Amino acid sequence: MRGVRAPQKRTFRTQVLLPAGLLGVAAMASLAVFFPGTLAGASGHADASHVSTNPRSVLKACGPLNTKGVSPTPNSGNPFTSTNLICHDGHLVSYGNASITYANPPRTFIDAGRELFAQNCSSCHGNEANGVGPEGEATIGPNLQGVGAATVDFWVSSGRMPAADVKAVEAERRTARLTPTQALEIAAWVNSLYPAVPAVPYPHLGGANQSVGADLFSLNCAACHTITGSGDALAYGTNAPTLENRSITAQQVVEAIRTGPANMPRFSGNLSDAQVRDIVSYVTGRVQHPTNPGGFSLGGVGPVAEGFVALLIGVGGLALICFWIGERS
Amino acid sequence: MSDTATKTKRSVRESMGPFGPVGKIVDELDERFGVAKGGRIFLDKIFPDHWSFMLGEIALYSFVVLLATGVFLTLFFVPSTNQIIYHGSYAPLRGQRVSEAYASTVNISFSVRGGMLIRQMHHWAADIFTGSIIVHMARIFFTGAFRKPRELNWTIGILMLILAIFEGFIGYSLPDDLISGTGLRIGYSIAESIPFIGSYMVSFLWGGTFPGNIIIPRFFIIHVLIIPLVLLGLISVHLILLVRQKHTQFAGEGRTEHNVVGSPMFPTFMAKTTGFLFMVAAASALLGAFAQINPIWQFGSYDPSKISYAVQPDWYMGWLDGALRIMPSWEFAGVGHTVPLEVFLPAVVFPGLIFTICFIWPAFERRFTGDNELHNLLDRPRDRPKRTAAGAAMLALLFTLFAASSTDVMANFFHVSLNATLWFFRIAVIVVPIIAGLVTYQLCREMQGVHGIGKRKRSVIVRRSAAGEYSTVPAAPRADDERTELDPEPVPARIDIEPLGNGGDREPQSSPTGVRQVTR
Amino acid sequence: MPVAALSDPHMSDAARHPDRVEKLIAIVFVFALVMFGLAGAAYWQNWNAWTFGGALGAGMFAIGFGLTAWGKYLMPQGPFVEDRHALEGTKEERDSLAAALVERSTVVVKRRKMLGYLFAGGAAVFALVAAFPLIRSLGPLPKNEFETTDWRAGTVLVDSNGRPIRKDTLVPGGIMTVYPRNQLRVQDGQVYFTDDGLATDQTVLIRLPGGAFTTMPGRENWTPDGYVAYSKLCTHLGCPVGLYETELEMLVCPCHQSMFNVRNGAVPQFGPAPRPLPQLALGYNDQGYLIATAPYDQPVGPGFFERTT
Repeated sequence: MRGVRAPQKRTFRTQVLLPAGLLGVAAMASLAVFFPGTLAGASGHADASHVSTNPRSVLKACGPLNTKGVSPTPNSGNPFTSTNLICHDGHLVSYGNASITYANPPRTFIDAGRELFAQNCSSCHGNEANGVGPEGEATIGPNLQGVGAATVDFWVSSGRMPAADVKAVEAERRTARLTPTQALEIAAWVNSLYPAVPAVPYPHLGGANQSVGADLFSLNCAACHTITGSGDALAYGTNAPTLENRSITAQQVVEAIRTGPANMPRFSGNLSDAQVRDIVSYVTGRVQHPTNPGGFSLGGVGPVAEGFVALLIGVGGLALICFWIGERS
Repeated sequence: MSDTATKTKRSVRESMGPFGPVGKIVDELDERFGVAKGGRIFLDKIFPDHWSFMLGEIALYSFVVLLATGVFLTLFFVPSTNQIIYHGSYAPLRGQRVSEAYASTVNISFSVRGGMLIRQMHHWAADIFTGSIIVHMARIFFTGAFRKPRELNWTIGILMLILAIFEGFIGYSLPDDLISGTGLRIGYSIAESIPFIGSYMVSFLWGGTFPGNIIIPRFFIIHVLIIPLVLLGLISVHLILLVRQKHTQFAGEGRTEHNVVGSPMFPTFMAKTTGFLFMVAAASALLGAFAQINPIWQFGSYDPSKISYAVQPDWYMGWLDGALRIMPSWEFAGVGHTVPLEVFLPAVVFPGLIFTICFIWPAFERRFTGDNELHNLLDRPRDRPKRTAAGAAMLALLFTLFAASSTDVMANFFHVSLNATLWFFRIAVIVVPIIAGLVTYQLCREMQGVHGIGKRKRSVIVRRSAAGEYSTVPAAPRADDERTELDPEPVPARIDIEPLGNGGDREPQSSPTGVRQVTR
Repeated sequence: MPVAALSDPHMSDAARHPDRVEKLIAIVFVFALVMFGLAGAAYWQNWNAWTFGGALGAGMFAIGFGLTAWGKYLMPQGPFVEDRHALEGTKEERDSLAAALVERSTVVVKRRKMLGYLFAGGAAVFALVAAFPLIRSLGPLPKNEFETTDWRAGTVLVDSNGRPIRKDTLVPGGIMTVYPRNQLRVQDGQVYFTDDGLATDQTVLIRLPGGAFTTMPGRENWTPDGYVAYSKLCTHLGCPVGLYETELEMLVCPCHQSMFNVRNGAVPQFGPAPRPLPQLALGYNDQGYLIATAPYDQPVGPGFFERTT
């Protein structure tokens, strides 16, 4: 006769503790999923139960993750070296430290993201976001698999995507067609196809050092964006956009630095999260809110504007006064 | 009991003679220095009144502003590239390693009361100084005031222009900030490119390798002592020659090669020129108060491995920067040596050529026109179309080069490719001066041929007859179309005055010579 | 006698009714006074920066305007005339000057010509020698500082904070500025580099995708793992070439927009730069740090006369 299993003993352990424990874990997990900052953020200390002393083993448990080419330099913005690491159900939820927390969008966003992608993005990037069209031809838009959630969030939340003009040399920033949440939803879906870092960053600007940020800005950023952050035209129709635009959020600045959109270089191990936070604090502070203690800034484009003012208003004005004082023949 | 007469106010006044206390002072000065005869001649000196003759005064008075504000700045500036940690009041710099020169300039801007104003006044006055020199030089050129006997004054003027440009460059390099330090690096490389002597020149001037520690102190003393002294000397000679040879004037009624017609030195010219001094200073002060210039605190201290995009030199060096950008990358390398033509030609040979043309122009024109006469009357620019066209072409060339120094800003503003913008300027720098010269020549010829150009035309009344035919009738003259002009005459001993009457009469009191009616 | 109405035609039209003009000028002068007072108050009370300057400027303008208007409207304008006495003297005066110069220099001494030449020669040599300290003492003779940098075989590359570079420091598409570790100094806890380290040794390190490659023939094994290093000094005028465009793989000099192709040895594609950026051969040491495996094979920076090709 086939074995009949003995009925489970009903004890306190099985009737109360086990369900309570499962509920507790589920609650913690949903907290981690919906509010990553509460666990890994402001206080700088994550819940001990979610931090592993060996990030690599935790990441192994996180499941497949594209960390190819990611630098392991301490606090450089990758999960190998971050002090806080949260994983759930084999998926990387968030990592980071006191300066920046990186978190993937909640997995509940994925379905909405698939919809949005199909409506807004698949015509240029392919149905699978891999740059391959329905008949196997190459699409206009590049392969997005492996770019990471931060990349997608940057391009969509800054309005660059969906592209206004697919033939333009570079997509320009404009009023975003999709809401920030929709951007995260698309990012969640693309990331789910091929999980990668960096995840969406959440910088913590309190405690940033603007002076260090200014110094780093002048070494790393001013060569393209100018020392005042006003942006300028680069080679062959490309350009470095202005950073003075106040609609640029701190999050977008971190995303740009870590993901290197378009022709911008990608800063990974050469800038730690603390250094990136300092740069972001300087950009969202002094660059976007210049104090101009000397008076009107004349556009911040430097001596050319000053020369025009000196010649037209200075010499020109004084010449007009000469015209009044003297005779005309 | 003393026997000195009681001193009443009246008796004191009467004892001074008919000219009062002023007469007494004149007596005292004349006894010691012999000022009487020369003084009267000096006060009677006549200055022609045309407005364009005042452009040189803009330069002179902005130089005075530069001296005054400059003295203030020297009391705070530290000419040293010693690196210190900044602990001043500007937060984004705190804790950074900066040079003492930079820190002291930031200190002037933020921690010295009135320092920001004086510093910005100084920089605006420098831009106005060079601008007004060029405008003044253009007036001299287009009216032919450089001709015999004034060639030396022209030469001194060009020398002062060159010194003013260097002085400005050195001045804004003193704060040792990122932008001006980059300019110094470029200056170093330009000097380095000179064949045979380049490496020696830079090694001597910089005291070794770039950037070294001695260039800022050396620039400081050149900027505050050496060049200002030379400029003061040249300005003095320039003005003495002007007084000795007397100012030129435009041709007109009563004006000949052998007289000067205008208003007297005292009180008219002195009042107007002193008032103008205040107004030039006011222009610097208002710009310095309301328009930010050279905000070095945004740039950071100079680090040779850092750079900002979209940097240009100050406007009077812009033509050189533009030339350097558009020059093709030709370099001669052979026989064991290198001559970087892409630097040497636009930055050394080209400005040398331009200034040489300026220096030899009076001689060249003498040879070209065969005219060796003395000239005290000015040309109208339209009467010398070839000279005016040449000057216009030169100005067009310099302006195109100046525009070429902001290729990146233009490419960004107009949303065109940077490469295309550069090619545009390579072509424009040849085409624009030629077109400007030709157009100017034509304009001059046309304006010569039109009588009464620039004068207001008499209006016409258009009448239509019953048959539909149109005819015109000149309208009545307007109120100020006819007016009285005086013939010139020597400054009288006194200008007699009338007591206050109803409107006063039109009888000339102190001009016995004729009165002419002038109709527009 | 005090001036009343001024109807002389040498005065300007406005002087016929001086009251109006005088009142206007008086108001302007009073305004100037008030402005100067405001400026003084702004200074002592430390008000807004532009209040002091604006009031001072407005006051100076007003006082200048008033004085100029006084001169233009209420003082004699003319036209007055002054004779230009001929600058030149008479023929007799010129001849007498020339005669004095020529004849007085004729001294009846047998060897005056030789004395003259000896004096001139001495003065010329003096002028030459006097110029020596003015020029030669300014600085040292240029030696080989234009030719060599401080990079040697085995020199470790470090960033601006003094950290060495490992294989995974940059991802493909990354760029950073590096210096030789032997120019690193520390003072008061602050890391800095010597002048030479900053000015001549500065190098850009870029990591290109696709792993190791060859920029030019003869430069195999110079780019481990896609890392390529070029001198940051532009060969045009020495500006730091810090502007990198990843998709174009192009270094652009911010000063005059020379463009260098990073993959084929930083050969200039556009702009005034005449020569490619010198490339630094890279390798790893046994600690895993990026090092230079040889010095630069040519002088860095702009061209100069003694530079051999």
